[in-house]
Amino acid sequence: MSPAPADELDHKPLDGGWGWMVVVAAHISIGFAYSTPKVLSIFYKEIQDNLGASSSEIAWISSIMLAAMYAGGPVSGMLVTRFGSRPIVMAGGLMCGVSMVTATFGNSMVYLYLCIGIIGGCGLSLNLNTSLTIIGKYFLVKRPLANGLVMAGSPVFTVFLAPLNQYLLNRYGWRGSFLIFGGLMLNCCVAGALMRPVIVRCKTSNCAPQKNVEDKPNESNTKLKESCMKSAMSFFDWTFFKDRGFVIYLVGSILFIFGAYAPILFLSAYAIDQGIDEFSAANLLTIMALVDMFVRPATGLIASSKWVRPRIQYFFSLAVVFTGTVHLLCPMISIKSYSYTFLVTYTVFFGIGFGMVFALIFECLMDLMGKERFPSAFGLVTMIECIPLLLGPPVAGNTLNMHYPFKHMTESY
Amino acid sequence: MSASWKQLSLQILLLLVSCRHINTKTPGPTAPPLIPIDQLPTDVRSVALNGESHTEKVELLNPVNLTLECTWTGNQDKLANITGLWRKDGEEVKNSNQTVPMENDQYNLKRVFSIVNEEDLGSYTCEFGSKAKIDFVLAAPQIGDVRDKPIVSYLGDFVVITCKMEETKPEPSTWYWYKANGTDKEQIIAAEEPLRYEIKNEERNTKLVVSSLVEADAGLYFCGAVYAISTSMSQVELKVISFYEPLKPFVAIVIAVIVLVAIILLYEKSQSKKNSTAAENGTTDQTNTLTQGETNGHGESSSMRQRKV
Repeated sequence: MSPAPADELDHKPLDGGWGWMVVVAAHISIGFAYSTPKVLSIFYKEIQDNLGASSSEIAWISSIMLAAMYAGGPVSGMLVTRFGSRPIVMAGGLMCGVSMVTATFGNSMVYLYLCIGIIGGCGLSLNLNTSLTIIGKYFLVKRPLANGLVMAGSPVFTVFLAPLNQYLLNRYGWRGSFLIFGGLMLNCCVAGALMRPVIVRCKTSNCAPQKNVEDKPNESNTKLKESCMKSAMSFFDWTFFKDRGFVIYLVGSILFIFGAYAPILFLSAYAIDQGIDEFSAANLLTIMALVDMFVRPATGLIASSKWVRPRIQYFFSLAVVFTGTVHLLCPMISIKSYSYTFLVTYTVFFGIGFGMVFALIFECLMDLMGKERFPSAFGLVTMIECIPLLLGPPVAGNTLNMHYPFKHMTESY
Repeated sequence: MSASWKQLSLQILLLLVSCRHINTKTPGPTAPPLIPIDQLPTDVRSVALNGESHTEKVELLNPVNLTLECTWTGNQDKLANITGLWRKDGEEVKNSNQTVPMENDQYNLKRVFSIVNEEDLGSYTCEFGSKAKIDFVLAAPQIGDVRDKPIVSYLGDFVVITCKMEETKPEPSTWYWYKANGTDKEQIIAAEEPLRYEIKNEERNTKLVVSSLVEADAGLYFCGAVYAISTSMSQVELKVISFYEPLKPFVAIVIAVIVLVAIILLYEKSQSKKNSTAAENGTTDQTNTLTQGETNGHGESSSMRQRKV
């Protein structure tokens, strides 16, 4: 592994203080980014009836949003490296808000694809990359914990936004709900405001000594920033593939993402198939989200500890293997009739595995690439992850249709 | 009187009875065809009861001569004779009180009912003394997929209200839509107001499109699945609100966001001003923070990963 440019940039992360406010901000930002495509599905039935769309047409909204969110990674990585986190997150929040507000007046599916899918997705992709990048700038020692807390935003927001959206839908119909949801997304701008830029100090000869880290940038600072940024930006995309660790990570995460979301999508259908009523089946996903909410920071805490931190990549691998094992065991420990308790236990363990993986997935990338290369690396990873993310669930669906019953699908995962 | 006279008078009576019913009922679909009773198709439903009571649902589409048969194995008393009785919707059917003998260790009650129109549907009960009874609930296929939450839409917007008959139930011959007007139902005829109403009927589902909504459009809407025997109704509530209703919370949220962002940025400015004035006064503060940062970094390096990042 080539020595990272951080040798030139001797920045000591705060590891506390204002960093915790940044964690809150990133939590909000990531929360919206991951939960929005999921919670928007609550509105779909209503929009389907009103605009006369089929189920597959309406599902495209979420797919386009996810695709834009992931594919926009490299662009947002570049923007973050150039401008820093704060303006990008504020711009992202504004874009998301505008996208939902304009979607309020939509009367056709194409209009919704454009507004929510593309504009909303791009706004979210700006949020995603920058929130994680700034954590790398503010934390080093406690970074896994910070990452765990930040990634916990996804289940937290899912659990809170889902009933809120249901209430808004009943009260205001889908148009009013989109309007208010757009307003809520503007809170990403608040999150952006909290992300104070961190001034990078250079210890090369042409750098002047820096003032306090929280100083407002003046002219000399911007010049220094630019010269430091140049070295970061000289690592453009394709050299990452020479990094063995990066390639292994990439291959692993592609395989994981391919199978990761299928169980979530089919969990309630599986439960109903086993004879559980619809309401309890829906509860399973809530249970998973609740477990996930607590597991992510807990994993971050464990990963921050003295014993695990140096071996964090192995801990991550353990989490992935654990998740896979849980899915394999589910059909294998096949009791004559699946009881609800068994499914709840499976869901809890699934939630634990899923939470562990996602708490660590970006921490490990940060660990591999270093905070300077992280934005571009993250952008590249998410752009490539776009493909298995979009292919995974339909392929799983086809496997389901071909090889009934459900348990074969979990085995193939 | 001869049998044919009896039949004729019965038919005339039936005719009069059905005519009366058509006039007093709330406006509904076209009156059912007046088929003479003896030309109706026949059907049989029988239930054998072991316990004390049982309810049997009977789904009917067309007028029919329905034979309802009840069999009861009796209880420990094993009476030789028991009084049998038929009730419709709780009221005793005339001339149905009879003595039922025990045959082959069971009691049998059988009666033919002419189910011609909606009035004839309902709950038919055969009673064995006051010891056992079997309920037959006669009804047209009911619309199962009922939406319990109101549909919310906006002034000037359009709304689509749907009704669906499940795959497992028979198809209705057509669909009608009604709007509640006080306690009455008024049929919506799309041809009269083509700009406002549009009804799209497919075999199993129906859509009512109401355009250019005004406040008066709010209220209950009924969709009726028409079968030869009767019409099954299902209701949906429509609420019409003005755009200002969601706009108010939206504006409140936007103002809150702007205020928060302003507070955060102003706080930061004031902090940095404080630090810069402190810097002017003395550099000791800066070095303190710098050394603190450095000691933290070095002290923890043994527990940190050894990667060169």
